[in-house]
Amino acid sequence: MNIQQFLTIFISSVFIYNVILSRFLGLCPFVAISKDTKQAFAMSAAVTFVITASSAVTWLIYRFFLLPFNLAYLRTISFVLIIAALVQLIEMVIRKTSPVLYRAFGIYLTLITTNCAVLGAAVLNIDMFFVDGKAVTGSFYYTVFQGFCMGLGYTLAMLIMSGIRERLQLCNVPKAFKGFPLVFIIAAILSLSFMGFNGFKF
Amino acid sequence: MKDEFIVSGSPHIHKKESISRIMWAVVISLIPAGLAGVIIFGLDALWVTLVAVISAVLTELTLQVWTKKKITIFDGSAVITGILLAFNLPSGVPLWLPVIGAIFSIAIGKQLFGGIGQNIFNPALVGRVFLMASWPKYMTTFVKPFSYDALTSATPLAALKEGKILEHISYFDLFLGKHGGCIGEVCILALLIGAAFLLLRGYITWHIPAAYIITTAVFIYIFGGLKLFSGDWLFHILSGGLILGAFFMATDYVATPLTARGQLIFGVGCGLLTAVIRIWGGYPEGVSYAILMMNGATPFIDRYTKNRIYGSK
Amino acid sequence: MKNLVKEFTKGIIKENPTFVLALGLCPTLAVSVSVANGIGMGLAATFVLLGSSVIISLVRNFIPGKIRIPCFIVIIATFVTITELCLKAYSPVLNRALGIYVPLIVVNCIVLGRAEAFACKNNLLSSVFDGLGMGVGFTLALIMISALREFLGSGQILGYTLIKGFEPVFVFGMPSGALLVIGLLLGLFNILKNRKS
Repeated sequence: MNIQQFLTIFISSVFIYNVILSRFLGLCPFVAISKDTKQAFAMSAAVTFVITASSAVTWLIYRFFLLPFNLAYLRTISFVLIIAALVQLIEMVIRKTSPVLYRAFGIYLTLITTNCAVLGAAVLNIDMFFVDGKAVTGSFYYTVFQGFCMGLGYTLAMLIMSGIRERLQLCNVPKAFKGFPLVFIIAAILSLSFMGFNGFKF
Repeated sequence: MKDEFIVSGSPHIHKKESISRIMWAVVISLIPAGLAGVIIFGLDALWVTLVAVISAVLTELTLQVWTKKKITIFDGSAVITGILLAFNLPSGVPLWLPVIGAIFSIAIGKQLFGGIGQNIFNPALVGRVFLMASWPKYMTTFVKPFSYDALTSATPLAALKEGKILEHISYFDLFLGKHGGCIGEVCILALLIGAAFLLLRGYITWHIPAAYIITTAVFIYIFGGLKLFSGDWLFHILSGGLILGAFFMATDYVATPLTARGQLIFGVGCGLLTAVIRIWGGYPEGVSYAILMMNGATPFIDRYTKNRIYGSK
Repeated sequence: MKNLVKEFTKGIIKENPTFVLALGLCPTLAVSVSVANGIGMGLAATFVLLGSSVIISLVRNFIPGKIRIPCFIVIIATFVTITELCLKAYSPVLNRALGIYVPLIVVNCIVLGRAEAFACKNNLLSSVFDGLGMGVGFTLALIMISALREFLGSGQILGYTLIKGFEPVFVFGMPSGALLVIGLLLGLFNILKNRKS
């Protein structure tokens, strides 16, 4: 477990293999909610929180329950249920402890259950940090950090896109491309520019 | 109709400048670099540039005729995009490459956003990164300078990335452009002449280029060498597309922040990204990517560096 | 009978999940690098869609409204796990190519969307045809996009070189190319739609 591995995880999760622009996870809210910066930030904050929490919980369940009992094939079902339950729990806690926070991003929490990004992150963590059914050293910390960085990458893409879309409201975009088509093309250009970080090595 | 109205509060200041005047001035400022490119790399450089410019103008004309919009090809902006795209290409590329690049730059990088004044990203760079991702082999095959029969050579930055030093190249050689590279990026002397013209006439301000170049130099100095504080910053300033990018592409009126403070932030951001990619990234050069990323961040920078509204506290 | 045919065909053009409803774009973009992968994902998703539509339609009157989404998810997840295991056993190459997007069929908006919007409100036969139509529409969209990307990005389709001496445009094999293709296709369909009206 060394700092270089953490730095690599950071650069690859945020820039090179950005959750939205490269792995295409969480696209539905990306095109739907990126119109407004405040909403985009609220959604991204919720996503980051849930991804980090669920990365931790799913790792624990996988390591201490699924693996020892040879139930690895139940990974998909159990992860989905865990994430759904976790989101419910987080929503309840936030609603009780901070109505302000709940008003800010509570509604997005329900949408996150079916957000590919959360389930995708959980599955990716397992694929990357378990080798031959055993956890690599520092696996848990890498997993949680990677989840957090994927949330950061999600936030970065959402904020850039919402800034651009707000600016575009003043522009004469050709009618046929207004909305979804242009969002994808902008995402394509962003994806191309993030390619500058390919081959990153400390 | 919407193309015409610019709404802003008074007071209004009237100057002789119009869009065309500024654009054509930039075209003129790029002529020295173009001449240098042709001298160093041969007539191929001229053909590439002409093809890029003609394709850019024709693409804009076609799109505007087809969508029954006002025809603006004479304002010089398409010409600039064509020239800048060509200046970012090696002279030995097959001629269909700048054609496709120019079409992509104008159609997708500019017209799809609504045309002049509305593009988020620098159109020439959009075209360039598209070409780089699509045909990397052609985009990284550079011709040896003055060797008009197409011997290939590496660029100084590429050699540095691989750990070799390009045979005895002096700072003066770098300054004059006697090395492999893209058509318009190598001759620093010619580029600076053009940049001085633009600065003196007030068509660009010093904020972005200064912030960009100084940040890159400082970062390279600190982290770019084998030990801390031992980086060869002069080498880096004179190599690659930094001067071309800092003075001619990062200063694009539309795709960069409006206020001086925002522009400084923009320049610093570009500098950091360029330096980081050059030192630790897989590619030897990061100018195009850095500028595009900062173009994407510009709406954000603008939001948080808004000017004081005239008359308010 | 006519109604059933209509349920089937609406999934292919009028309510095509990818181009009209803009659902399930995550796997579409990720998997469309080659036509083989596109077909594989399309078939897998269709299987899950069909299976879950059948079961959900059958038990729709027994699931209490408040917990219906978690119930749907469990049912869908079961079929996805079956698909995962079958792919691992009979087609490990395809499984590796599709990667994390196989388990992600669980949260594929198309599957959950159809369950919520149709299968839980309609009888068995209609649900079957609806699920099948959506699945086929999805597969066709996948084939279209991956054919474009594979041909432009590598000059081949399904491994066969179509035009000799074609210079592949590598960007189309990359994520950026996928986003470009989908953006341009959506814009193109809009142009056609505007022209018709």
